[in-house]
Amino acid sequence: MYCYQCEQTTRKDGLLGCSQGPGNCGKTEETSDLQDLLIHALKGIAQYDKRARDLGAGDDEAAAFILYGMFTTLTNVNFNPSRFLHLLKQASEVRDRVKSGYERAAAAKGAEVETLSGPATWEIPTEPASLQAQAAIAGILTGADDVGEDVIGLRALVLYGAKGVAAYAYHALMLEQESGEVYAGIEDALDFLAGEPRDVDALVGKALGLGTLNLKVMEMLDAGNTGKFGTPEPSAARISHVPGKAILVSGHDLADLAALLQATAGTGINVYTHGEMLPAHSYPELKKHDHLVGNFGGAWQDQQKEFATFPGPILMTSNCIIEPAPSYKKSIFTAGPVGWPGLRHIENHDFSTLIKAAQAMPGFTDEPEKQEITIGFGREAVLGVADKVIEAVKSGAIKHFFLVGGCDGAVSGRNYYSDFVEQTPKDTVVMTLGCAKYRFNKMDHGDIGGIPRLLDIGQCNDSYSAVQIALALADAFECDVNDLPLSLIISWFEQKAAAVLLTLLSLGITGVRLGPTLPAFITPTVLQMLVDNFDIKANTEAADDIAFALAG
Amino acid sequence: MSETHTITLVTEDGKEERFACPDDVDILAAADAAEITIPAVCRKGTCGSCRGRCKQGDYELRSFSDGVLSEADRERDEVLLCQTFPKGPLTIEVPVDHAQLVAGPAPEFTCQVVANEALGGAVRRLSLKALPDEAGTLNSSFEPGQFMELQIPGTEATRAYSLANAPNWEGELEFLIRLQPSGLFSSWLDEKANPGDTLRSRGPKGRFTIKEGSLAPRRFVAGGTGVAPMLSMLRQMSEFQETHDTRLYFGLNTEEEIFAMSELDELAASLPNLSVEVCIWRPGPDWQGFSGSPVDALREDLVSDLAKGTVPEVYLCGPPGMVNAALATIDEVGLPYENVFSERFVAN
Repeated sequence: MYCYQCEQTTRKDGLLGCSQGPGNCGKTEETSDLQDLLIHALKGIAQYDKRARDLGAGDDEAAAFILYGMFTTLTNVNFNPSRFLHLLKQASEVRDRVKSGYERAAAAKGAEVETLSGPATWEIPTEPASLQAQAAIAGILTGADDVGEDVIGLRALVLYGAKGVAAYAYHALMLEQESGEVYAGIEDALDFLAGEPRDVDALVGKALGLGTLNLKVMEMLDAGNTGKFGTPEPSAARISHVPGKAILVSGHDLADLAALLQATAGTGINVYTHGEMLPAHSYPELKKHDHLVGNFGGAWQDQQKEFATFPGPILMTSNCIIEPAPSYKKSIFTAGPVGWPGLRHIENHDFSTLIKAAQAMPGFTDEPEKQEITIGFGREAVLGVADKVIEAVKSGAIKHFFLVGGCDGAVSGRNYYSDFVEQTPKDTVVMTLGCAKYRFNKMDHGDIGGIPRLLDIGQCNDSYSAVQIALALADAFECDVNDLPLSLIISWFEQKAAAVLLTLLSLGITGVRLGPTLPAFITPTVLQMLVDNFDIKANTEAADDIAFALAG
Repeated sequence: MSETHTITLVTEDGKEERFACPDDVDILAAADAAEITIPAVCRKGTCGSCRGRCKQGDYELRSFSDGVLSEADRERDEVLLCQTFPKGPLTIEVPVDHAQLVAGPAPEFTCQVVANEALGGAVRRLSLKALPDEAGTLNSSFEPGQFMELQIPGTEATRAYSLANAPNWEGELEFLIRLQPSGLFSSWLDEKANPGDTLRSRGPKGRFTIKEGSLAPRRFVAGGTGVAPMLSMLRQMSEFQETHDTRLYFGLNTEEEIFAMSELDELAASLPNLSVEVCIWRPGPDWQGFSGSPVDALREDLVSDLAKGTVPEVYLCGPPGMVNAALATIDEVGLPYENVFSERFVAN
């Protein structure tokens, strides 16, 4: 195995990347290799379907399979090697179908059938041992001796960006939002990678192109969420529990949550959100359910401790799962792209076993003092008071905006973000999204003339909302986004964040501060390029970075 | 005067737990006193539940039943903790995770008899339903391969039986029990047990569970009702749609003893990569299947697997004689010991 796709990858003695199982996420060598091979197989599907699509005969079902397959390989999503055997078998069948579809479309149009090579022609074995023996063809470092580490790193940037875009597109698809343009974009990126590109400008261009595509995907996701669940509104989310049987829902998939709320209506079971599901409490069509009672716990990396104390079953709908502790292993269920060996996987929103588990387990028996936090400052809520905000900026009551958001994680350097927010001057506003907010969202930050100093925009999936707020403010102040009194302090962990970063760069946003450490796949040369073109900065000390932002 | 020594338990997940043990107290009893829960049932050296491997230190191993620890086990310094008395500080590997050691004792709950059916071959299927406790909680969750201790109604005596059904949240517990002439539990089952009767249960216990996350072929070797935990494992594999190359060698003495074939046929239909070989030790003239012990059948396949470079994982459950014979065979053909998972059952 070799994997350096996430922020917690090994950085030891000058060597980068997890090259021995288990990786720092807990994934075994076998699973890591099978994930690389699945990506290889998906490239093969993309090679054919891109060409079929160019002829007007794209196979959207195959493209949706690519989204799902890519999502399973994100950090902390699927650790089950059996699942990857299934997916590789399926990939082989899908590729055969897409290949035939391409050939038929070419014949119908009188176009020449291109002879493809690489992943398109890979004979996918079915036996685990044979697959393992071929792992080297799909390794992320394959060809490094030939093309050098910068090209390998840029290929990784394109691949990880594409993984993030695919994951968001999968979330959108679960909300019945799909687009041929997005499928074409993802297939194009995979086809590009299948050709083993080595031109640095082309690689950078493709990465930024994925950033542009991701803006479209996040717009679809936003439309899916608001279309189905209404516009998020400032809301109180309970963070203390109530007596009764209980189910905890983690991950990001609001469609799964909505289906579960319907399935549990009238059962007496209370549903709690965990981690990135917190914004559910701000959507009218979700919060209308009385049995969506509150939020439990914090960010993903604390789940082993927190899930162990939850007295009901847990549903993990997307990233981020980590190894279940024995105490709750029998009562954690997976859905969608998620998997862990030995856990029960829920298909097609059939929550019957989950509900039985909730009824069998103790639930909460006590009622601690009620505690709430305020969330739900999506773009509508913020722009709804735009006049007030603009006035506050003009009067000098608000001096600066910070967007402190992204992923949380376990490394000690992440206290930078709580330090940062705590030290922001009282005449500044902090917008946040993603699970990084759990480091500071339970503190009282006060308000500026009725505008809360901490505005929780939502999930990492709601980055679109943040971009729209920034663009609207720029519009109101008749300036460029980069000229706004706004600093972006982005905490990354995995590939969704890579896609969001590419989106920011594709919008020409400069000066993003990226931490807690820079991606291991960004080589010094590539970093210099990002610094030169986008003024990307690494974290230093929170106080210094605040002073720098305010001075600018 | 007794002397007290420090016992260090090393768990499967590489953690350590220390406690003190006087030299006239067995390790299991001292662990109990320190509120450390080591899986154990009989506490008298006959069931083999409390196995460990002594890595370091001197100890005295007192009496245990034949077959519970083989000579090969003893050469690896495997011990039964209920019969192990320290002569100095000891470091012992125990095949459980740390969380299990400190999780407290297994829950006790009341079950109701749902059905008591003859399956053929003097084997009964006892179906129980766990009843919720006063707070409305069911405490009957288990993993495939684990067992429960059932208390014989009207007595203080308990017997341990493996669960044969897949884990579920309805409190359903299924056991396959061969009636033993003049056996205490057998007598109750044969003569008294009726739907609606209640009995106490404690568990789950045991660490004979499936190695999750592995893609290696699985070979299950069962002697008689030793097939019960394997049925549980196979049923979960079927629910999880696992596609491992899987073989079950189901050993019985005679054709008359055959039972649970409809359950196995059902599994073979839902697990396309499962093959079931019924192995009859003393077949009649009309027997068309494999003649011999399941260990003989395993040996043939293991040799050919290993020759192809296939390294399967082997699960053994049955009487000590069968398990020990299988272990000897596995050793002989050169399958790594870490690929073998076993449980012996011993009649009380």
